[in-house]
Amino acid sequence: MPEQAQRRAPVPPTPENHTEDQQALEELRHLIVAPEQEGLQQIRDRLDSMERRAEDVSSVVVEAIQMRREHGDDQALAEALAPTIQETLRESVRRNPQVLADALFPVMGPAIRKSISETLRSMLESFNEALEHSLSLRGIQWRIEAFRIGKPFAEIVLMHSLLYRVEQVFLIHRETGLVLNHVVAPAVATQDPDMVAGMLSAIQQFARDSFKSAGEELLGSMNFEELEIWLEASPDAVLAAVIRGHAPANYRLQMKEALESIQQNFSSALAEFKGETGPFRAAGDPLHQLLEARFVQKDEGRRKHRAAIIAGGIALAVVLGWIGYSSYLLWEWSRFLAALRQQPGIAVVSVNKSGGRFHVQGFRDPLAPDPEKLLSQAGFDPQKADLELLPFYSLDSVIVTRRANEFLRPPVGVKLSYKNGQLHAEGVAPPKWIAQFEERAPWIAGVNAIDESHLQNSDLLELNRLKGALESAVLVFPLGRTELENGQQAALAQGKMDLQTLLLLAGRLGGTVTIDIVGHTDSTGIEATNLPLSKQRADQIFGTLRRAGVNPANLRPRGVATSEPLRAENTEEGRRYNRSVTFKVAFSPAPPVH
Amino acid sequence: MLQKKVCMLGSFSVGKSSLVRRFVESIFSEQYHTSIGVKVDKKVVHADGHDVTLVLWDIHGEDAFQKVQISYLRGMSGYLLVADGTRRQTLEDALALAHRVTETMGEIPAVLVLNKCDLATQWEIDPDREARLAAEGWRIFRSSAKTGESVEQIFSQLALAMFSQ
Repeated sequence: MPEQAQRRAPVPPTPENHTEDQQALEELRHLIVAPEQEGLQQIRDRLDSMERRAEDVSSVVVEAIQMRREHGDDQALAEALAPTIQETLRESVRRNPQVLADALFPVMGPAIRKSISETLRSMLESFNEALEHSLSLRGIQWRIEAFRIGKPFAEIVLMHSLLYRVEQVFLIHRETGLVLNHVVAPAVATQDPDMVAGMLSAIQQFARDSFKSAGEELLGSMNFEELEIWLEASPDAVLAAVIRGHAPANYRLQMKEALESIQQNFSSALAEFKGETGPFRAAGDPLHQLLEARFVQKDEGRRKHRAAIIAGGIALAVVLGWIGYSSYLLWEWSRFLAALRQQPGIAVVSVNKSGGRFHVQGFRDPLAPDPEKLLSQAGFDPQKADLELLPFYSLDSVIVTRRANEFLRPPVGVKLSYKNGQLHAEGVAPPKWIAQFEERAPWIAGVNAIDESHLQNSDLLELNRLKGALESAVLVFPLGRTELENGQQAALAQGKMDLQTLLLLAGRLGGTVTIDIVGHTDSTGIEATNLPLSKQRADQIFGTLRRAGVNPANLRPRGVATSEPLRAENTEEGRRYNRSVTFKVAFSPAPPVH
Repeated sequence: MLQKKVCMLGSFSVGKSSLVRRFVESIFSEQYHTSIGVKVDKKVVHADGHDVTLVLWDIHGEDAFQKVQISYLRGMSGYLLVADGTRRQTLEDALALAHRVTETMGEIPAVLVLNKCDLATQWEIDPDREARLAAEGWRIFRSSAKTGESVEQIFSQLALAMFSQ
C-alpha cells in the first residue's frame, strides 16, 4: 500500500517531460487497470464462447439438480424435465428399441410375474371357495339362502367366507371433493367414482354442518348393510376405503400411513390443485396396496382330523367288507357243500381251497343232479370252484330206483322202490311187463332181489272183472219158453263178448276156465217139466255161444230148474228173473313156474 | 383429465334439477336433495380444446325457510346461477345469493341462467334489467329444460369462463 501511495503523488507538468509523463501515465494506468481489464476480457471471452459456457454449466449441473431437490421442489424439476425425458425415451426407442428393452428387462420381468401371480392367486382363491362351497352341505344351505333372500349365490358365498375385502379406494381432493385417483378390486361393480366421491364429500360436509362441528374433523366411517366406508383425512386429501365385511383396526393405520406418504409426496400438487388429476396417477401404487382381502381361516387341524377319521372309516369299512364278503363266500360254500353231500348219487371225497378257488373231488352217478346247477342254486359262482367228480354207480336207494325206472320203464300204475338191495314193484302191469321185470330187474346194479308180491297182473284183474260181469248177467226167458225174451239180445251179445275176452285172457294167463251155463225156471209148473225146460234154456244159450265161435270145451250147460232160484218169487218180477240163464265161471290159474 | 367442481344455485323450483336431468350423467335419486340438500351429478364438456369433467353439485333450492349451506360450495371452480324467468323474485333471490357467495368466497366464474324461456308469454324479466346485468359482467343465458335450448352452451360457457380465470 505505501508503494501505491507513492505512485499517486502529484508531479509538476513541464514541456520536456510532457511525453515522458504521458508514457508514465500510460504505464501507471497499465499497472493499475490491466489486471481488471484482463479479468474482464477473460469473462467476456467466456461468455462469448459457447464451448466455455457449456463447460462451466457441465461442472455444476449435477450439484444444481441436487440442490434443487434438497429444497423440496423436485415436482417442478420433474415437470420441467418430463417432456425432454419423454422425448429422449421416444427417440431412443425409435433408434434402437433393444437398448431400452435391455435396460428395462430386469425391472419388467419381476413386475409382470408379480402381477400375473397376484391375479392367479386371487382367481384360484375365489375358484377354490366357489368349488368347495358349491359341493358341500354348507354350499347347499347357502344356495337355499341365496334363493330365499334373492341374492346371487356368489354374494352369499362372499358374505359367509369373507372376513373383509377392500373393494375400492378413493383419493379425494379435500376442498373440492374431486377424485384424484380411484382403484377397484377385481370383479367389483362400481358406480361412477367422480359422482360417488362428490357425494361422499357432500355427506361429510352435511354431517359437519348438521352437528355444528367447529373443527375440520372428518367422519371416521360410514356403514351400509355389509359395506363400510372408512375415511382418513390429511390437510389436502381424503382417503376413502369401501370395505365389505369388517376390517381389523390396524387397517386404519395402513390407511393413515398411505395418506401421509401421499400428502408428503404430492404436497405441492395437492396445494395447487386446479382440477388436473394427471399428477396423481403416480399415487396408484400405494392405493393398490390398500386393496386387500382376508378370507375366513379354515380350521386345518379339524379338517385333518376329520380327514383322518374319514380315511380310517373307509379303511375299516373296506376291511369289514372284505371279512364280511369272505365269510359270506365261506358260508355260501359250506351251504353248497352240505347240499352237495346230501345229494343222492354224489360222493364227496375231499374238499380244499387254494389260490382263492375251491376244489372238490369225488364221484357222481350219471343219474345224480348236475353239480353246476347246484352251485348256481346255492348262489355260488361256478367259476370260483373246480368240481372233479368221477362217474360211478351209486347204490343209494333214490339212484337205484331212478336207474330201475330208467331201465324198466314201468307202465303207469306201477311204482318201483328200492330197499336193502331189493327192488319192489307195486301196482298193476301187463303180464308181458311183469315177465320183463322178473327177468331184467336183477340185472340192475344194486338190485339183489325183486319183490313183486304187490304187483298185480292186469290180465288177471280184467279176467276177474269179466267173470264178475258174466256172473251177474241174467238172460230172461218168457214163461215156459226156451227162447229169450224180446230185448234180451243186447244182454246176450254183451255176455258173449265178455265171455270171449275172458277165455282169451285165461288162455294168455295159461289157466283153465270152465263156464257153467245154468238154466233156471220159476216155481210154476212141476219139477218134471221144469228141469228139462231149464236144461233146454241152458242149451239154447250154449248153442248160440258155440255158433258164435266159443270153444264148447269150456262150456258146460246144465239145468237146475228151481233148485237155485235167483230171487224170491213173491212178485212177478222175482218169478221173471228166475225164468233165466246165468253163468258161473271157474278159473284155475296155471301153476307157478318157480 | 381435467375436473372441476361446479355448483348449481338458485331458488326452489326454478328448474335446476330439470336443467341437469336430461343433460348429465346421474346415479343418485332426487331424494338426496331433500335429505342432505345436495345431489352430485357429472357432465363432460369440450371447451377450449380440452375435455373437462364437470362434477355438478346440485344444491337444494334456497327459499325463505332454507338457506343454502355455503359449506357445500367450498372448492368450486364455478357455478350456475339459475332463476325462473317467469318469476321475477327468483332472479332477485339468485342475485342476493350470488352476492353472498362473492362476499364469502371472492369472485368465482358464474353463468346466469334464466330458465323456462319456452313460457314467453309469462316472461317477467324485462330486457333492460337483463342488459344492465350483462353490463355488470354477467354471462346470461335464456334456457329451457323443456326444449333443451342453450343447455349445452351454458355448460361450455361456464367451462370457458373457468379456464380464463
